[in-house]
Amino acid sequence: MKKDKNKPAFITKIELIIIAVAIVLPFVFNFSPYFQGLLIFVLIWVILGTSWNLLAGYTGLVSFGHAAYFGIGAYAAALPYYHYHISPWWGLLTGGIAAVILGYLLGIVVFRLRGPYFALGTLATAEILRIIFGEEEWLTNGHSGILYMTTWVSKYPYYFTALILALGAVFSVKFVMRTKAGFYFLSIREDEDAAQALGINTKKYKNISTVISTFWAGMAGAFYMIYMGFIDPEVVFALHNISIITILVGIIGGVGTIWGPALGAVVMVLVQEFFRSSFFGLAPSWISGMHALVFGLLVIFTILYMAGGILGDWDLIRKKLSFLRKAEVSE
Amino acid sequence: MELFLQTLIYGLLIGGLYAVIGIGMTLIMGVLGIINLAHGQIMMVGMYLAWVFWTFMGIDPYLSLFLAVPLVFLLGIFLSKYFLQPLIEKESILPENQVLMTVGIGMVLVELARFIFTSDYKSVETSYSSETIALGNISISLPMLIAFVIAIALTLGLFQLLMKTDLGRSIRATAQDKDAATLMGISSKKITILTYGIGSGLVGAAGILLLPMYYLYPDVGPIFTIKAFVITILGGLGSPIGAIAGGIVLGVAETFGATYISMGYRDAVGLVIFLLVLVFLPGGLKQVLKI
Amino acid sequence: MKIKKLLTILVVVLMMVGINSCGKKETGPIKIGVLLPLTGHMANFGTMEKNSYEMAKDKINANGGINGRKLEFVYEDDTGKPDVGRAGAEKLINVNKVPMIAGGYSSSVTFAAAAVAQQYRVPFLVNTGSVDKITQPEAFNLTTNDGAKFYIYRMNPPVSEYASGLEGLLSQIVKPKSVFIIHENTAFGTKGAKSFAKTAKKLGIEVKGNHQYSAGTVDFKPLLLNAKKANPDMVYMISYVMDAAMLMKQARQIEFTTPKLFVGAGAGFTMPAFKENAGKASEDVVSATLWHQSLPIKGAKEYFDKYVEKFGKDHTPDYHGAEAYSAAQVVADVLKRCNGKYTPETIKKALDATNMMTVFGPVKFTSYGKKIHQNKMNTYVVQWINGNLKLIWPEDLANAKFVYPIDWAANWK
Repeated sequence: MKKDKNKPAFITKIELIIIAVAIVLPFVFNFSPYFQGLLIFVLIWVILGTSWNLLAGYTGLVSFGHAAYFGIGAYAAALPYYHYHISPWWGLLTGGIAAVILGYLLGIVVFRLRGPYFALGTLATAEILRIIFGEEEWLTNGHSGILYMTTWVSKYPYYFTALILALGAVFSVKFVMRTKAGFYFLSIREDEDAAQALGINTKKYKNISTVISTFWAGMAGAFYMIYMGFIDPEVVFALHNISIITILVGIIGGVGTIWGPALGAVVMVLVQEFFRSSFFGLAPSWISGMHALVFGLLVIFTILYMAGGILGDWDLIRKKLSFLRKAEVSE
Repeated sequence: MELFLQTLIYGLLIGGLYAVIGIGMTLIMGVLGIINLAHGQIMMVGMYLAWVFWTFMGIDPYLSLFLAVPLVFLLGIFLSKYFLQPLIEKESILPENQVLMTVGIGMVLVELARFIFTSDYKSVETSYSSETIALGNISISLPMLIAFVIAIALTLGLFQLLMKTDLGRSIRATAQDKDAATLMGISSKKITILTYGIGSGLVGAAGILLLPMYYLYPDVGPIFTIKAFVITILGGLGSPIGAIAGGIVLGVAETFGATYISMGYRDAVGLVIFLLVLVFLPGGLKQVLKI
Repeated sequence: MKIKKLLTILVVVLMMVGINSCGKKETGPIKIGVLLPLTGHMANFGTMEKNSYEMAKDKINANGGINGRKLEFVYEDDTGKPDVGRAGAEKLINVNKVPMIAGGYSSSVTFAAAAVAQQYRVPFLVNTGSVDKITQPEAFNLTTNDGAKFYIYRMNPPVSEYASGLEGLLSQIVKPKSVFIIHENTAFGTKGAKSFAKTAKKLGIEVKGNHQYSAGTVDFKPLLLNAKKANPDMVYMISYVMDAAMLMKQARQIEFTTPKLFVGAGAGFTMPAFKENAGKASEDVVSATLWHQSLPIKGAKEYFDKYVEKFGKDHTPDYHGAEAYSAAQVVADVLKRCNGKYTPETIKKALDATNMMTVFGPVKFTSYGKKIHQNKMNTYVVQWINGNLKLIWPEDLANAKFVYPIDWAANWK
């Protein structure tokens, strides 16, 4: 979607359409809070995937421990409630900040690591946090978790809160990638040593990327607490269900593209739910056990055949599809 | 004092088992340069194979080492040839694509296992499963002792293979410098595929050694994956001796942590050591032991 | 803030529009939701409970169903995870439109899902989830006077009462001076350990240790060595089935023969899979239980035999199955008393008035202490004797003599 102008508009037409659809969508599904709930889950994954993408896709710091920031955000919302009955909604202030602080502190340790070591370092820190939050019962209520009677039964307030967060995440990434910092991120991703040699303060820019990324991951966590009303360490610090799925959302949609993770989130939730509900009861029920299998196969397929993800390889996919269409016509 | 001794011995024994889990990973990480996040899942495949051999054919788990391990080896070859190798030639933004591929592979393996065997727990109850051997005041479980001995044997065998054979030399060369190895006429592609196969076979063997003293279900893998990479980093990439040292250090540290600090923090002990080693001793024990 | 207000108004309007007339076919089956772990590490229990629900359903429908209509259970798999359980409860309410939910296995899942049911004002009949706060309205921002607003009902006793049946055995026969508590680091384990520590204090038993572990541990020996060193008169363990088996197996390996008793707190210790996996090491292990087929309860033995007949000798049901079967009986009884209108409100009213006999014992929802809508029940003690689970306490109901004192060294040879 290249334009002839030197600097394209910040918000393109397509993006305006996406936003409009996102605003209307919950009303279309007014008849089913269940579908609305699915939409909210999509948005949570949009936030997380986008946050991860800035760090991994644009800056080359492939985090395998995004659950750490998500979990800290969630507990930042939950702990004041658990101890002092302060509404978890304040987490929308504290969650992001708590995650940023954690991100900065961890950065001191893990930024010394490169490539697979960075991945392992982040993974290990998230796991350590999971264990600590499970064991320190006086602080976190341990594995019993923290329960909060959510504010509304209706999904609308949650949906729009999540939508604002998701748009905030996506557009903050879009914004920063149009600034000088964005170019520095890319240069760090392509060759950190070269970037440093060129006089870029790589540490500073890695930190900037981390701050933005962890902020949104923390916000996603805080929102999760507000919306779900229940967290425990196994849920919010989960290695597979949070850290890994976040990565897969990014991979499927397209690493290093603005809207890729958002698309990945849609695909991931749809695939899971289609199968989990046995195509809403249309297929035999044993299919419901296959959702993780199908998702795994989808991941393998994506990496093998569209390494750039759906959005990253969009031109390629379109070509293939148009070829199919032509073939049909010629028949 | 007795408690201390017992803790030490049980730590050593479980460490031996950890070592076998780690050796496969250390080879794969050393040669392929990737974290194999399907490691625990491949181990699970080995365990199910041994369970099937035991339940339907009555083959002793230790005997089925000779049946199941080659199968797991072939599975590893298959996976690396058709799923990991093609990625090396492909251009992609993230070099971690292969790691993510192992995540996908792991998910599919688990779900296939769940589809075939359901989520039920399975275990292998052999006549010797709960035998113990007395060593002074300390009694040691027989399967654990066997696992330890086989672990040492496997490590030494692998060490010989790496040091004394052409294949081993090729593997080491590839691990050190892929391009240089290719120039020396080594097919690095072949070696990479083979290494993943060997690594898979080893972790499959570890699973089978574990089976008589533990139990089995589709999600058994992930905690062992984490142990495996902790050991790898601890011992140093690509070093079987490092892996056995790392495994034993991890086993002993965990057991002492569990005895003297808290059982709940058992799994955290290893992870903390792991982070410390990553940051302060990037070469792992290999660097210290000079092997 | 204006936007939020506007939104709220919008929401209210939309909800009013959204309320669709739910007058569906009046002859089809009545659907009731059941939340259970059918996969994951608690699937063992979930499957037994599902089987029992189905057995009860078949029997109810064979006897004319609910006032002529068939009863149907819609199962939702919570996989043993609280977040999945909540999503499952929401799905039952929003998609399947069930007027009532039953089930609830693990404590944390049940508690998390109960909040959903409470929020949607749909009655939730809990049959296994046992952490105390599930029937404590204060956990849901209500008070004990809010019975009319509280939609959670529980058939099984809370975990703090699991060991109440054990008290008599301990104080009259075993008279232990000390105990070592080992528990899983879950809500069920932690709370169970705490309340047993209290019980011990009451009985004058010294607590020599209270240690937790996480499910799936390979090597329990460090924990058991600590226990052995403490030299307690009894070991009290709160574990699910595979951990229970591993604990006893490894206790045998380290020759931990000094305690007078090894006691399980129900859960894993009464399951057939415990005996199968622990083998010899399970012999003479004692466990608290909520039920036994030999109890003089009408239908108990019949249920047990039918279950074994249907699912085979290796699948003997324990108290979990009885709880589920009995929950289905309560559901049928409640629905029959709804006068043909099956809404959450009519069902709640009928639940309040419940007073009936089930295979699990009498069911009546009362309030005491901080709890409301809680069925009060006796608990019992069982022991694995020659590979069979026998009821040994209270003595007047026992179907076998308590094997005591126990020579562990000889047992484990």
